[in-house]
Amino acid sequence: MTAGKEAGPPVTDRRTAGWRAWALLAPMLAWLMLFIVVPTAVLLVYSFCERDELGRVVYTFTWDNYQRAFDPIYVRIFGRSIGYATLTAAICIVAGFPVACYIGRAREELRDRLLLLVMVPFWTSFLIRTYAWITILKQEGLLNAVLRSLPFGAGPLDLLYTPVAVMIGLVYAYLPFMILPIYGSVEKLDGALIEAAHDLGAGPLRVFSSVIIPLTLPGIAAGTLLVFVPSIAMFAITDLMGGARVPLIGNVIQNQFTQARDWPFGAALGVVFMALFAVTYWILLRFREREEAAG
Amino acid sequence: MKSPKLSPYVLGAVLALAAPVALRAAGELNLFGWSEYVPQTVIDGFTKQTGIKVNFETYSSNEEMISKLVAGGGRYDLVQPSDYAAEAMIRQKLLAPLDTAKLTHLKNLMPEFVRRPHDPEGRFTVPYMSGTVGIVVNTEKVKTPVKGYRDVFQPRFKDRIVVLNDSREIVTWALYSLGLPINAIDAGSLANARPLVASWVKLVKVFDSDSPKTPLLNGDVDLGIVWSGEAAILWNQNKKFQYVIPAEGAHQYIDVLAIPAGAKNKAEAHQFINFILRPEVSKLVSAAFPYTNPNAAARKLLTAAELANPASYPAGGKLETFRDIGKVAADIDRLVTDLKSAQ
Repeated sequence: MTAGKEAGPPVTDRRTAGWRAWALLAPMLAWLMLFIVVPTAVLLVYSFCERDELGRVVYTFTWDNYQRAFDPIYVRIFGRSIGYATLTAAICIVAGFPVACYIGRAREELRDRLLLLVMVPFWTSFLIRTYAWITILKQEGLLNAVLRSLPFGAGPLDLLYTPVAVMIGLVYAYLPFMILPIYGSVEKLDGALIEAAHDLGAGPLRVFSSVIIPLTLPGIAAGTLLVFVPSIAMFAITDLMGGARVPLIGNVIQNQFTQARDWPFGAALGVVFMALFAVTYWILLRFREREEAAG
Repeated sequence: MKSPKLSPYVLGAVLALAAPVALRAAGELNLFGWSEYVPQTVIDGFTKQTGIKVNFETYSSNEEMISKLVAGGGRYDLVQPSDYAAEAMIRQKLLAPLDTAKLTHLKNLMPEFVRRPHDPEGRFTVPYMSGTVGIVVNTEKVKTPVKGYRDVFQPRFKDRIVVLNDSREIVTWALYSLGLPINAIDAGSLANARPLVASWVKLVKVFDSDSPKTPLLNGDVDLGIVWSGEAAILWNQNKKFQYVIPAEGAHQYIDVLAIPAGAKNKAEAHQFINFILRPEVSKLVSAAFPYTNPNAAARKLLTAAELANPASYPAGGKLETFRDIGKVAADIDRLVTDLKSAQ
């Protein structure tokens, strides 16, 4: 290493640099290999297998699991899961954008404190925070106690174990993942551009739609992905706050690996799920390329 | 705490403790049991008496236990399957026959809990605790009598019901209501049960197998169909929660102790089984987890209040254990998933 330093920067041996780059990359590649590529391969193999009476995977080739995955029952559940995740992402954008803008434009010391507040919930386990919501929403819980004490005497709300409770849980869990990337875009936003827009006669609405939104779009896109992907596969919130009444795809997959003793079918659903993401991502990519080419 | 004066004593104490353990290195038991089912006091008591170190791992479903056992080879010396899971494991030769000569306290068990269909000769399993799946009613909210499944699933109780989140349980209740056998399930009986299950799942507010007592305690629901152990805890907290064995018939489960075929410490496993069979030990299990104790000698040691708990010791009723139904389980799961998502 000391010898390398003496040699100085101008002489760059390409082969050595390549070797060093690989050495630096190796831990990450090993990590990807071990925790992404290998499990995905196992999943893919399992999805074409059968199972025996005890739920052990039997290595005989079959298409049955995929045939079953496209049964209308599961297609409908896929559709509903996408619906829940889309709604979660939409609410997170609407609720998170103003917050991110405010934090991004705040004075520096205030900004740091506000950012800390966004991240504070992560100091507590996700499950404990979900149980806290149960305490708030249950019929004899905090929210209804507050409502009862109001002078107008609003009747007790029946929130827990409803789809509304599931949405509250999902938006609560993933809102920080929307705020932080948008904040990143807002912070880099050049104030001069907004002033220029004003000077050129644009009203606040026009500035927002023609300047602020396009410039923070990367943040919004990243946030949407970070919210949409985990919320589509979530099963703990639907079980705990939704009373497991309406199954989402995460619940169905989890159930195959536990109670139903059908790992191959669970694996097939998982593979379909991943394929769905890959295709969506690819379409989005093509869309952007075409847009860039056109604009 | 870091006082240097203390350290020689501490060191001496550690050595004194460690030495005998090192000498008995052979004495070890890998216990794989249900979560919330084996009291730590019982495990500590066993180690104290025998010097055998117990490594305790837990699971939360029979399926999880079987898959880990199959994957883990000889890692476990003692498992705790439910009756139907033990039946499948015996058939697949996953369990080792017991040496009944070593189980001197076997005679303490009540005859109605041994040699059941899952292990007709009693060669592989010893009952640990038993229970039922029945109706629990908050009598402060529900004033009319509730006797069977059809009394629970009434439109006027819509969104006031909690049931186990277990497809086979739900289908079993429908089969009972229709007077169909619960262990001979085929496409025909599932087709018959379908409309009933469809109308029932629409009325349920919460599906929960882990802690169905919670929504009842929180006042979010007024009645439900739950494990008897959960109902017994509810009854202990408040007598307004009454337990009813459904008139149409109820699922009884017998959880057993069994030794995997590949176990390395079979002698220690036998010692543990025999320890559990001792009345004063079995009593401790009942005190911590109020299920039905199959041990006649232990029942004599229970308090009057424990024995009077109608969920732990229900008065009669038609009870049946589950049998292993093999691959029909997948059809049951699909049926219930379909009906739940059709809401």
